Amino acid sequence: MNYKNVITFILAGGKGERLYPLTKDRAKPAVPFGGTYRIIDFSLSNAVNSGFKRIYILTQYKSFSLQRHIREGWNILSRELGEFIEVVPAQQRISEDWYLGTADAIFQNLYILEREKPEYVLILSGDHVYKMDYTKMLNFHIQNKADLTISVFEVNKEEASRFGVLKVDNEYRVIDFVEKPQIPFTLPENPSISLISMGIYIFNTEILVKRLIEDAKKIYSSHDFGKDVIPSMIKRDRMFAYRFIEEDKRESRYWRDIGTIEAYYNANMELLEINPILNLYDENWPIMTYKPQSPPAKIVFLGRNIEILNSLISDGCIISGSSIYNSVISPSVKIEKGSEIFDSIIMNNVYIGENCKIKRTIIDKNVIIPNNSVIGYNIEEDKKKFFVTETGIVVIPRESFV
Amino acid sequence: MKNKILIIEDNENERLLYKEELEKEGYEVLTASSGKEGLSFIEKEKLDLIILDLRMPEMDGLEVLGKILSKRKNLPVIIYTSYSQYRNNFLSWAADAYIIKSSDMVELKNKIKEMLGS
Repeated sequence: MNYKNVITFILAGGKGERLYPLTKDRAKPAVPFGGTYRIIDFSLSNAVNSGFKRIYILTQYKSFSLQRHIREGWNILSRELGEFIEVVPAQQRISEDWYLGTADAIFQNLYILEREKPEYVLILSGDHVYKMDYTKMLNFHIQNKADLTISVFEVNKEEASRFGVLKVDNEYRVIDFVEKPQIPFTLPENPSISLISMGIYIFNTEILVKRLIEDAKKIYSSHDFGKDVIPSMIKRDRMFAYRFIEEDKRESRYWRDIGTIEAYYNANMELLEINPILNLYDENWPIMTYKPQSPPAKIVFLGRNIEILNSLISDGCIISGSSIYNSVISPSVKIEKGSEIFDSIIMNNVYIGENCKIKRTIIDKNVIIPNNSVIGYNIEEDKKKFFVTETGIVVIPRESFV
Repeated sequence: MKNKILIIEDNENERLLYKEELEKEGYEVLTASSGKEGLSFIEKEKLDLIILDLRMPEMDGLEVLGKILSKRKNLPVIIYTSYSQYRNNFLSWAADAYIIKSSDMVELKNKIKEMLGS
C-alpha cells in the first residue's frame, strides 16, 4: 500500500475549556500526560506507527506550547522521503474568521488538499488517548468502497449520550448519526450497546471537498463534522462504521476522550495499575514524545515508613526521603524529606518542600510548594486557594504561587 | 424588481461587453475591475449573483471566491473564464457554475436564467 496518497489532519484547535486551568496557557492537545507525554503524542505516534507520515496539525488557540513540542520532539520524519509534520495555525486564507468548527478547520485549509491532491484524508482529534493502527481502518474503507469511514467505540447505551452515536445495519453501513442524542441508537444485535464516533474519519478526498463546500455555504450550520457534515451525508453517501481494533490486543479496548479534568485524572491513574489497560511499554507500537536531556531519576534516604509504590517516576527527579503512592511524577520534580504524595499528578519541574502532605492533586509545571503544606485533605480550605473540581480534585496552575 | 448582478473582470473591454449584454437581458449590472473592488460591493449592495473572472492581477478569482463565501455564504457565483484547467482545482468547486468564455455568451446567459429562476 502506498501511504503517500493519504494526508492526515490532526485537529488541535479546541479551547479545552473543561480542562481549565490545565489549558490556561496551552491548547488541550499540549497538556502533559503520563509523566513524559503530551496528549497529542498518542494521535501522532499512531499516525507515524501506521506509516501515515504526511501530517498537518491544525491549531489556533494558545498554540505556542504545542508548536514548540512538535518542533523539539517530532523532528523525526524525512522531508526528502516526502514525510512531514507541519503545524498550521489558522491563517484566515479563505475566511476572515477563526475556525468555527471541526469541518470549518479543514475547509479553511482546502488549499492544502488542492496542493497535495491525496486520494484519502484521515482526520484525527489531538485530544484522545489510545493506540490504533489506521492502516486497518483504511483497508476496511477501501474494501467497502466507502466515501466515509468512521471509527467507532462500543459503550453501554447509558454512556452514549455524550457522544455522536451511529445507527448501523448488519453490514455496519451507517444509516443514521446523531450528535449527543437523548435516546441513543443501539446495535442491531444488542440493545444495550451503542456505537459512538471516536472522531476519527477517513474520507475519499473528492467527497470530503464537496461536502465541506456545501456545509460552508449553509447559513445555519455550526460547521462541525458530527453535528452538520455527517448528518448531511446520511442516505446520500456510502458511510461505514469501523470497529476500533487497538494495538494492545486486549479484550477491553482502550480509548479515552480527555474532555474534563476528571477524565484527565482518571486516564493518568489508569496507567498506574499493575497491568495497565494502556501499555506504554510495547516496542512494536512506541508512543513517542519530546524528552529533554536529563539524568535518571534518583531516590535517596529511604527509611522506615517510607515507600514508593504504584507510581511513574520520570527522568531528572530527585526524591529524598519521601513517600509516593499511586502518583504520576513528571521529569525534574524534586520532593524533599518527610513529604507524602498520594493519588496525584505532579508535572515538570515542581518543587515540593519538606513534610508536605498532598492528596488527589494535580500540580502543573514550575510550582514551588513550601515546607509543611497540606493540600487535598480539606476541600473547603483548598477551595479558598485553588481550583477544585466537583469530585474534589485540586488543581494548581503552572507557575502559581502557593 | 430587476435582479442585480456583479461582474468582476479585469479586462475593460470584456467588462463593458458583458455589462451591455446582460443589461439587454433585463438585469441591473454592476462592474468591478478587481477582486478587492468586487468584495467592497458585496458589503454595500444587495446582490443576486456574481460573475467572476479567475485570472486577474493582484487577488485572483479563486481567492476572491473564498472571500465571497465568508461574506455572503449563499450568494451564487458563476466562474467565467477562458481557462478550463481550474475546473479540477478544489477551490473552484465552491462556485455554483464554471463556464468557459465564448463570443456569443449563450451558455452564460442560460445559466444566469436558470440560477435566478427568471
